[in-house]
Amino acid sequence: MTEQRKYDITIGIECHVQLKTKTKLFSEVDNDARGKEPNSCVSPIDYALPGMLPRLNGEAVKLAIRAGAAMNARINPKSRFDRKHYFYPDSPKGYQITQFYHPIVGEGYIELPSGKKIRIEHAHLEGDAGKLTHFDTYSLVDLNRVDTPLLEIVSMPDISSPEEARDYCKELWRNMVYAGVTNGDLYNGNMRFDVNISLKKPGDKKLGTRAEIKNLNSFRSIERAATYEYERQSKLLDKGDKVVQETRGWSDATGVTTGQRSKEEAQDYRYMPEPDLPPLNLTEDFIKAEYDKCPPLPADYRARFSDVIPADTLEILLDYPELVNRLSEISDAKQPVDYVANLFTSVLLAEENQSLLNDALPSAKQLIELSAMKNKNELSSTSAKEVFIKLFEPKHSGKSSRDLAKELNLIQENDSGALEAIVDEVLSKPETAKAQADYKAGQEKVLGFLVGQVMKESRGKANPSAVSEILKKKLK
Amino acid sequence: MEVTEKDINHLAKLSNLSLELAEKTVLKRDIANILKYISKLDELDTSGVEPTYQVFEMENIWRSDDIKSQDADREALLSLTKEERDHQIKVPKVL
Repeated sequence: MTEQRKYDITIGIECHVQLKTKTKLFSEVDNDARGKEPNSCVSPIDYALPGMLPRLNGEAVKLAIRAGAAMNARINPKSRFDRKHYFYPDSPKGYQITQFYHPIVGEGYIELPSGKKIRIEHAHLEGDAGKLTHFDTYSLVDLNRVDTPLLEIVSMPDISSPEEARDYCKELWRNMVYAGVTNGDLYNGNMRFDVNISLKKPGDKKLGTRAEIKNLNSFRSIERAATYEYERQSKLLDKGDKVVQETRGWSDATGVTTGQRSKEEAQDYRYMPEPDLPPLNLTEDFIKAEYDKCPPLPADYRARFSDVIPADTLEILLDYPELVNRLSEISDAKQPVDYVANLFTSVLLAEENQSLLNDALPSAKQLIELSAMKNKNELSSTSAKEVFIKLFEPKHSGKSSRDLAKELNLIQENDSGALEAIVDEVLSKPETAKAQADYKAGQEKVLGFLVGQVMKESRGKANPSAVSEILKKKLK
Repeated sequence: MEVTEKDINHLAKLSNLSLELAEKTVLKRDIANILKYISKLDELDTSGVEPTYQVFEMENIWRSDDIKSQDADREALLSLTKEERDHQIKVPKVL
């Protein structure tokens, strides 16, 4: 944090993660409603017809344990479900099935790239609500999302700036995506964040009254909304006014938060144990088996690559699990990753090439070969980039990088015998006689012209620095 | 235990019910009676006793993650609603 703030900020974040199960949390209906008609992924259970019994999806339990592993958390062997009652058209049951008293995931923490640890209070399984679309005089209800499995992750109020709030959400997102528990598509609401923020004077023991900004789904809006909320609350406190405890909504377009409902009258959800779902009582072996399935996480990759990839490059790459995975394969094969990492950040992630991310990534084998050819100067850096981009074309999938480079006629001539022959030929041409004489007379600049002539003669395939050395030797 | 009109209004709001004055009066009396009867349980000393969440003593009941038929199609489900529009359930404006 560069600027000194007048008030201390205290932020706690609740995050809803949609788990990537095939079916819903309590019914055997398709959980992936992307691109499907409204209300086409709905069973009588989701519809809450009388007499319907929910049946728990075991995969959601397993993914919750794996998510727990990705936040260094203790798993509670005993957990159970509760009903949280409220009336709203997005919930046909009239209650949400959640884990209020006995959540499956206990205390844990997320370590930020800065090294600071944000503690996790707990995480619990629950069903999502349906989707409402509002019109002038009515609203429409689509129940496709009803009881999509969610893991709600509740942090301790350990976050102390809007920037840190963004970093926490990003690191949590990365951990959940690397753990493979969610598709992590933020645009489609696979992870949604509620940010609780309060201010107090430095030195005050007691926390200030907090406001909760609901339903943020981008890292940028989390930082912007928290920054705005700091400004808003500090103005109130400066004037001696009070912050009202309430839920606020954020608009990316206007850049402000607005009050949605006051929490002065505490909500009464009348939680009660869910009688239709027997409790979980997991064995140590079962928990361990799922815990161990958690694949390497960003922190593991930081440890693995810190010596060979610059930290800022690695932080960019960590947002793309597929790229990091490819680098791991290359590293597993005991091959250098630095050049490939550089191609990923400077070529693939450059604005004009980002559409390539939709295509299949070149294989580790292709990238290893490309990297080796570049390192041996068989490819100039421009040519290597050209081959790299071409490798994304479906027609080149499975082709070796060498074959492709040959096909594109990009392999540099390094063989000094062959290069010398070309150099001799150029030097024997009358139009280079003056330049040779000038060079010998001490005009070193003309060497560039001669190198250019050789490059032209070789049709761009000669290695310019090798050519330059040969010329210097011959013109001594 | 006394049940006040405020309690009844609160419960009605939570239950999404609109009640006539006469109904409120009856409910006030009935609920007070029910609470009085149930409060007999307070005579028991339950310290150290695990709450009963369910009576079947089953644990770890779950199913595998396989998609099965929905048993009822969209039209059948939507036909149960008061009003539909564009294959969605139409409700009074809520925001």
